[in-house]
Amino acid sequence: MSGARRRPESASGLHKTTVIEMMNPSELEFSSSAGPTMGVELELQLLNSRDYNLGRDAADLLALLEKTGHPGAVKPEITESMVELNSSVHTSHESLVRELQVLRDMVAEAAERLNLRVSGGGSHAFHDWSDRRIYPTERFQHLLKVYGYLAKQFTIFGQHVHVGCPDGDAAIYLTHMLSRYVPHFIALSASSPFQQGSDTSYQSSRLNTVSAFPLSGQIPFVQTWREFTDYFERMRSLGIVESMKDFYWDIRPKPEYGTVEVRVFDTPLTVERAALLGAYVQTLARYLLAERPRAPSRDVYEFYRYNRFQACRYGLEGSLIDAYSEKRLSLQEDVLATLQIIAPHAKELGADAALQEIAAGVQEGYSDAAWLRQVHGERKSLNDVARLQSELWMGRTKVHA
Amino acid sequence: MPSFLPQTPFAPNPLLLFGFLLLAGVVGGEVVQRVLAVPRIVGYVVIGLLLGTGGLDVLDARLTREAWIFVELALGLILFELGRRLDFTWLKRDAWLAATGVLESALTFWLLFFVLTLFDVSPLYAAVAGAIGIATSPAVVMVVAQERKAEGQVTERALNLTAINSVISFVVVTMLLAGIHHEYRADWMTVILHPVYLLLGSALLGLLSSVLVVALARWLGKSGRGHFVMTLSMIVVTIGAARLLELSVVLALLAFGVLSRNLDRRHDLMPFDPGRLGQMFVVVLFVVSGASLRVEDLVAGGTLGVVFVLTRFFAKSLGIMSFTRFSGVRPGTAGMLCLALTPMSALAISMVRGTTELYPEFGTKLAAIVLSAVLILELLGPIAVDFALRRAGEAVAEEKPAV
Repeated sequence: MSGARRRPESASGLHKTTVIEMMNPSELEFSSSAGPTMGVELELQLLNSRDYNLGRDAADLLALLEKTGHPGAVKPEITESMVELNSSVHTSHESLVRELQVLRDMVAEAAERLNLRVSGGGSHAFHDWSDRRIYPTERFQHLLKVYGYLAKQFTIFGQHVHVGCPDGDAAIYLTHMLSRYVPHFIALSASSPFQQGSDTSYQSSRLNTVSAFPLSGQIPFVQTWREFTDYFERMRSLGIVESMKDFYWDIRPKPEYGTVEVRVFDTPLTVERAALLGAYVQTLARYLLAERPRAPSRDVYEFYRYNRFQACRYGLEGSLIDAYSEKRLSLQEDVLATLQIIAPHAKELGADAALQEIAAGVQEGYSDAAWLRQVHGERKSLNDVARLQSELWMGRTKVHA
Repeated sequence: MPSFLPQTPFAPNPLLLFGFLLLAGVVGGEVVQRVLAVPRIVGYVVIGLLLGTGGLDVLDARLTREAWIFVELALGLILFELGRRLDFTWLKRDAWLAATGVLESALTFWLLFFVLTLFDVSPLYAAVAGAIGIATSPAVVMVVAQERKAEGQVTERALNLTAINSVISFVVVTMLLAGIHHEYRADWMTVILHPVYLLLGSALLGLLSSVLVVALARWLGKSGRGHFVMTLSMIVVTIGAARLLELSVVLALLAFGVLSRNLDRRHDLMPFDPGRLGQMFVVVLFVVSGASLRVEDLVAGGTLGVVFVLTRFFAKSLGIMSFTRFSGVRPGTAGMLCLALTPMSALAISMVRGTTELYPEFGTKLAAIVLSAVLILELLGPIAVDFALRRAGEAVAEEKPAV
């Protein structure tokens, strides 16, 4: 790997402004990852403890965390009401969940010293987007200038899962193949039923906000890394993007990490569930790369937006058009069937217990969105929803993964 | 003159007085704010000063006394809100915040006492003045924070420290009542029992109200509108009860706020935000505070007022600077807190009035020491808080379009 490889961003970003990085061509070189590794990024909500609306204390929390020290990384996000937690690179579900729990405890404790609460979930139930303030770095201010109010509405919270790839061509293959499973990812993580004080009737309303961005969507149907870099160069020479960061795709290759990044997950209500989702992507990736069961198909993208909508709207109760068989399937059954198919790979990775836990949840129809709606039904107040949501994430109440 | 026509001279009624104060505040405050570019509440105070006994005498001593009930209502509302900001679980987790509150209060009291006696103020007066100086104006900090939609560590910590020092100030002043009674040769029953009655009685009233408000909230079920009206009515009833029982409105409402949050383990009571209704009372609060001060006080108090203000600022800063860094907040937070805790306002005036009602002579002498400082800080305090919150990056700069 040449010296042009980008440094990982500093932990807090407080003393370092993230400039819009100009990529030079060598930065599109795909660094190889050994084995099916994974890493997780979690965007989290910062709440005040008074009415559990979003707070604005990200900078204070990051400064305090920098003083105390912690594994992984904690970074600012686009508005002052968010922070992002990054795990390090893991090969097993067990080590991932352990690290996430340590990180969670450190963040929760630091937050409480500042009288803040931290919460999972893809959306805040009742904040007003126009109250949000952009985190003062050059990149985020630039995004506000470009996207206007969308930048503030982007105060939504997602989980990104990275899986390691041996090379660029494999990354392109994996990106296309994982697209078939995007409805699974959405339904399994859905946790944004409420937005701006109302029930949206969606299981995941968060992705509707992402769709408003012009560079959201999917990777073009390229077949090799070479084709992809040509595409990227064309987009860059036309001034449409400056770096890979400007593509808000559901799944995108991340050449400098040597990974494919799945970005459609809502942040789950607990870190334990976040780790389960990581294990699911890791196992799927191992299955797809090892067995190469099918060739990428343009048809997957033909039904893509419909399938994605079904998952956002109805979660596991939605249906899915399978591009290969051209059949309408039940999403719930398709997830269970997939878990069966990839079970041998789960065993190899030591993720079988994790996948069984997912299967059990799917069978009983559990979703974080349903949990949130149930809390609202019992308590009749979105303040209470936000409060209990934060207590759940911080590990202050019994965990339901 | 036919008998159905109103008879002159016209007797002003409370409604007319309330409406007039509001109107004068809103119009005058806007003018002052446009001309001097200071926070609006400074404008209300200036209008009060202009209309008051020290100015045009439109609001003469009698009218100001009558209008004081609106001040108590506004102050009660603010102290309830402030009390609800005080979170015992936070103080447990960040013991340094609680320690900062106690230290800056203690330093303020002792340094003011010490310096005032140097200026030949007799010890009892110096002690009571020092005790009054402990408190930061809850109204100013709260109103500026709300007006600016400020949120963050400086705002939260300033409000919590204000709640702490207001409680300490009130308790110390009340205990010193024993000394005042003794000075005026009251019987020993009064010397001992009056402070005890005030402290315990007001706290008990606050406790009763908070138990009742939580029970009512549970019975009503979660309904924003229902809880708002119910909470508001409980606040007004508590203020009225405190007056009826000759208790302290300040302590009762502060206790009501603190306990209604910290005893409500099941979170039955929904968050209370007085919103525009609260803003209305704030206007009246500051106009009447201004009217009860006189520019002559500043001249008469003169140096002593300036010495009071400087000593108080130094003492509070010393306390805050010593301990705040242990709370793990960003550098610079402590400095902004020093500025944010400077205001003195209606709470101080109300404590001076409390002594005046008992012993007019004592109150007049005390007023000469304290009120010139209050006058200075009524004008400078809001500007200091405003500056601190903006400098800390916690105030919202852009205004939303009006709807």
